[in-house]
Amino acid sequence: MSDSTVPQESNPPAPSAWGVALESVRCPHCDWRYFAPPDKADIRCPHCFQADLTPLGEAAAQLPYRLPPEQWLPFAVDAATLNLSVETFAGGIPYAPRDLNGDALRARVQPLYLPLWLVDGNVTAEWSAEVGFNYQVVSHRERYADGGGWRTEEIHKDQVRWESRVGRLERHYDNVVAPALEDHPALERALGTYPLTNVRPYAANALSDALVRLPDRAPSAAWPDATPNFQAAAAEECRQAAQSDHIQKFRWSPKYTQTNWTLLLLPVYASYYLDDESAPQPVLINGLTGKITGARRASMQRAQRAALITAIVAVVLFALGLLLGILGIAAPPLLVFGILLAIVAFGGGAVGALLPIVRASRFNRKQEVEGR
Amino acid sequence: MTEFPPAGFVPTPSAIPGIEVYMPAPVEATAQPEVAEFKCPQCQATTAYSVSDGGLRCSHCGYYEPPPKSIVGKGAEEFEFTVATMEVAAARGWGEARKEIACQNCSARTTLPAGELTHTCPFCGSNRVVQQDAPQDNLRPRFLIPFQITDAVCTQYVRAWLGSSWMTPKSLRDLASMARFSAIYVPFWTLDALTEADWKAEVGHQKTESYRDSKGNRHTRTVTVWRWESGHAQRVFDDLLVSGTTRLSNVLLKRLKDYRTAQLTPYDPKYLAGLMAQAYDVPLQAAWAAGREEMRAQTRETCRGQASTSQIRNFSMSLNFQDESWRYILAPLYVSTYKYEDATYQVMVNGQTGTVAGQRPVDWPKVWLAIAAMVAPGVLLGLLGLLLLVGVPPAGPIVLIVALVALVAGGAFAVGTYGKAKEMGDV
Repeated sequence: MSDSTVPQESNPPAPSAWGVALESVRCPHCDWRYFAPPDKADIRCPHCFQADLTPLGEAAAQLPYRLPPEQWLPFAVDAATLNLSVETFAGGIPYAPRDLNGDALRARVQPLYLPLWLVDGNVTAEWSAEVGFNYQVVSHRERYADGGGWRTEEIHKDQVRWESRVGRLERHYDNVVAPALEDHPALERALGTYPLTNVRPYAANALSDALVRLPDRAPSAAWPDATPNFQAAAAEECRQAAQSDHIQKFRWSPKYTQTNWTLLLLPVYASYYLDDESAPQPVLINGLTGKITGARRASMQRAQRAALITAIVAVVLFALGLLLGILGIAAPPLLVFGILLAIVAFGGGAVGALLPIVRASRFNRKQEVEGR
Repeated sequence: MTEFPPAGFVPTPSAIPGIEVYMPAPVEATAQPEVAEFKCPQCQATTAYSVSDGGLRCSHCGYYEPPPKSIVGKGAEEFEFTVATMEVAAARGWGEARKEIACQNCSARTTLPAGELTHTCPFCGSNRVVQQDAPQDNLRPRFLIPFQITDAVCTQYVRAWLGSSWMTPKSLRDLASMARFSAIYVPFWTLDALTEADWKAEVGHQKTESYRDSKGNRHTRTVTVWRWESGHAQRVFDDLLVSGTTRLSNVLLKRLKDYRTAQLTPYDPKYLAGLMAQAYDVPLQAAWAAGREEMRAQTRETCRGQASTSQIRNFSMSLNFQDESWRYILAPLYVSTYKYEDATYQVMVNGQTGTVAGQRPVDWPKVWLAIAAMVAPGVLLGLLGLLLLVGVPPAGPIVLIVALVALVAGGAFAVGTYGKAKEMGDV
């Protein structure tokens, strides 16, 4: 671990410091890098599922950080919640790909941990802010009606009195978070935030057979994202120090010393389904809340097939109608049936053949818009 | 930050070790003695506030001390109706207790009546201002409007006022013997609020329609068509004045409420030296209730004014008060009496604007004569119309209609005149 006034890059030791045997691997397709148990070092990448993981070899020494984490969040989503998430994800899709079903998703679930930086540090600063104190004022609401006179209702309204405060601060802050992955904001948007109430100190048996994604942001790159969190923590403490109910316009001039960087591991389940082109479509599930994310797409192939079947049936019926029409020359009552059948087959066939394609296209377009 | 803590900030307790907290230094409440005495620093004689000079003046050696603070006007701090303030104000007002004060000049002890803020020792004439403890600081008078006209000017105004009405005796202006004017600061509450109201009513619209009677003749008649209307009204009340005293005629004080709060000045006992001043005896809640009544009545009139005609029924409205605030101020007033034909009449003058209000004797024979003159045309024309009905039948009805109109108009004027005359004697 590094102790310094300015955040420093670590000098990574071997992954054996994690207390379990781990191998440094990477996906040649998506370039996600992992520590994986030796028996899972050559599995498919649990992110893109496009290629098998390959050992990093000597390149592992160039990783920005390989120290064991300080804390981890154990998987907490129960089987029922997981099932519900998966079934909800797979359900409600018109002409869903055949592979997009609960059983397939569950069978491919791979536990995975995502890293998050934890920064400890001493801070000295001068600060200024506006602090707010709650109070109540007496007000009135009145009603008038001819013949009934005035009816007065006394009400209490909540108000906030803002006062300025300045001060000095010399505090130590533990476990201020900062993203350790470039795509952390996108992942957080997709998976939701992780409540950090149940974090536990890291133990060697924590990982079990899960993979751990390695940070792709060095502490120095993550530092600009850590400072707002230091500021938020300091603002909250200054609010408490001033014994106020609110704080706003918090400004400070911090000096950081003794910063110490560690990791927190966030649990996530990875799975996938195969789309029309048999390409894996990744699905991620928050290991705490069960929130699921991934591309939900209708199968255009299935929609086209349904359209084709409908069209064939319609053509057959239309032809039958024509045939009845011809027979109607000899037996006039058949002429009426023939015409009716041809009209129904033509109208129903046109609509019925278009409907699957329209439904699938609209669903996919809607998913694309929501996914943006 | 260069200098720490910044100027004007003082330490305040912090709930977290390692964090220092500084707050703006509270405005120094100038340590005021409970009883402020005013003595000339040159000759030790008693000084008093001089209205003409606008500052403290020693009548013995001429020493002058200018007014202590500048005008803050409508920027004078206003207070919200906080739950805490209302609870304190309800528990006990300010100036309730009677005070016994000892004159430091001659050692005479005097009991000060409840609510009196100033005192002049009856034995040695020294002036004092009593600054009693208020249960909450904002329940002290924090602002006042200084006297701006002298008692000599007051006398001129009152003389002019006495002769300004034809209803008073002709000799009133010349024969009234005026007593000396007493300058007194009276307590007022200034109230601010924004009222927002939604109203609904049935509004009557006149419509002329034609109809046929049972014989088939065509006639026209006017009918009222009622339609529902609704609307939203908003009114801003700024410095609505409500009297804080019950010891002066409320009728007269209401006529003198044209005080201009743009002249508000921070309270300083020097303004009160040698003058009389009263503390409030109408508590904040009662003043606020009176103020609200006036505000809602005015808002109601605004709502009714939005209706498309003045014929309204089933009127209802809901009204919300917002941004309510108040101040406790002292306003200048001259009080005096004058005698006329052995009767004593009360008169007050607004010490800022010179507006006069008071009782005036009414020359009732003159008023009755005037009322008779107003009603006479209608009566006489009526009699003439009746005679014409007998003698010249076609002209009779026309004269009678004119007589009726004249009688109604004359009667209205007569009632107004009578009311005005009655009001002259009210206090």
